[in-house]
Amino acid sequence: MVLANRGFVKDAQAAASVKGMPGLRILGESVACESTVAADIEAGVDAAMPEIIAALTKPLTPSEKSPKQKVEKPARIIFKGSNQEVNHFFYGKGWTDGLPIVPPTEKAVAAMMAGTDLPADQVVARMVPKLGKATVEKIAVNAVMAGALPTYMPVLIAAVQALADPKTRFDVFQTSTGSWAPFFAINGPVRNDININCGSGVFSPGNMANAAIGRAVGLMVKNIAGVRKGIEDMGVLGNPEKYSLVLGEYEEESPWEPLHVDFGLRKEDSALTVFFPNSYSQTIPAQTSAQGIAERLASMSPYSLSCLVVIPDHAQILSSEGWSKKRLREFILKNAPRGEMRRTLNDEDFIVVVAGGPGVWMAALKSSGGFGNSFVTIKIELPRNWDKLVAKYKAIVPNYESY
Amino acid sequence: MHKIAAVLVMIVLSSSVATGPSPTPFASAASDIQYEVLSPWAESDSIPQRGISPRLENLAGKKIGLFINTKRAAKPMAAAIAKRLKEKFPTSETSLFASPLSTVILKDSKDGDKFAAWVKSVNAVVLLVGD
Repeated sequence: MVLANRGFVKDAQAAASVKGMPGLRILGESVACESTVAADIEAGVDAAMPEIIAALTKPLTPSEKSPKQKVEKPARIIFKGSNQEVNHFFYGKGWTDGLPIVPPTEKAVAAMMAGTDLPADQVVARMVPKLGKATVEKIAVNAVMAGALPTYMPVLIAAVQALADPKTRFDVFQTSTGSWAPFFAINGPVRNDININCGSGVFSPGNMANAAIGRAVGLMVKNIAGVRKGIEDMGVLGNPEKYSLVLGEYEEESPWEPLHVDFGLRKEDSALTVFFPNSYSQTIPAQTSAQGIAERLASMSPYSLSCLVVIPDHAQILSSEGWSKKRLREFILKNAPRGEMRRTLNDEDFIVVVAGGPGVWMAALKSSGGFGNSFVTIKIELPRNWDKLVAKYKAIVPNYESY
Repeated sequence: MHKIAAVLVMIVLSSSVATGPSPTPFASAASDIQYEVLSPWAESDSIPQRGISPRLENLAGKKIGLFINTKRAAKPMAAAIAKRLKEKFPTSETSLFASPLSTVILKDSKDGDKFAAWVKSVNAVVLLVGD
């Protein structure tokens, strides 16, 4: 039997069910989560003891003894209705992120799949915990819902492949109480082909690619991986970054080799790098010399998997004063103040990405290590018709009018 | 030209009326367009279902395993349960197994054999997650 805080009973039941043991006896108790108060623990255990004993001794029911085999065969065409009715139906099923979705019609999904050479029924990955089959078609359905363009499909397929890599510990981070969100850094020519924002307001809404790619991933996490808020996703406070946290490295404005080259790919490759931060902080350097910039970056304590976002102006200052990325990394390794865990900062703990607009702010996205997790970088494979597709969709950009 | 515009307005109005009262203020004639949509919900392979182990008739003379993870309330809760079981069933025993991480599948880890041996050594298991 399992004894869990009563707020986690549904989560435990879902976990038992997906492992094929729906009859597992799960008892909710009232001890505060991670309680450090002995009296509360004693009282909670006292209250739970009769049920603990019953759970260990009460004879099994027929369904506990021999649970029925579950056969899940969801209909491919699921609904017909107006835009509003489709939206209300999907929202009612728990398939959206709360914002309106684009109806994933047969025609729209077929158009989306023009963004890949893979067949519709190809399983790109099985996503935990549900072990849902991320077929090309399911990826396309969720992409349409998110408002993506067909040119985003190669990125979305790579994103699914990356998340399925056990080194991301997607299984831990998407369900954790820590409310971690997948962060994607996009590199290579694909950034410009699909108009990924790398510059001003790189994390702000307003760019279709940055917004829709992250949003589509969020929908796939829910609808393919089966991670739903308050059931499998036990994030205590949640995280607005789960809507979208996608950045393009501003390679044209960077004096250094881009991130994907750090991970062994060629500069001309397109790639994405993923990890799961749960916080985003910004600061400014006390001094705008190379030394001052490096000191402030180091002060952001990039322990336990972090991304330091260096704006192009700062990268240029650093470079002009002889700081390579390697030298900057070595300085950070040497000078970062010890974190709360008082552990040594390691080279594999952090990445440096150049992005953002003119100004003086710098940023850090911080995750947690120690779960066998690491950054995962994956090459984005483009379809044969790529140039034609890009030509069709590249002009779709916001053109702000003066006022 | 004006006649065409008037007809168009009438069509739009009549379309709006045909949908009946709308629950949201942004409904329009466009709501009459019907969309046949695909499900975003993924299929999964069928997982073999397993029943749970037979229960014990009573706990007297039995060895109860207490499995804890690294969450800080798990260990003191296990201690409290062990104490109460001993009080209620003096001939019972408890055995603690502490998972080194809260996020590993033990049977597939380097501690897999140790864990399997522990499971065999007890009559029942209470899993405490400390949350």
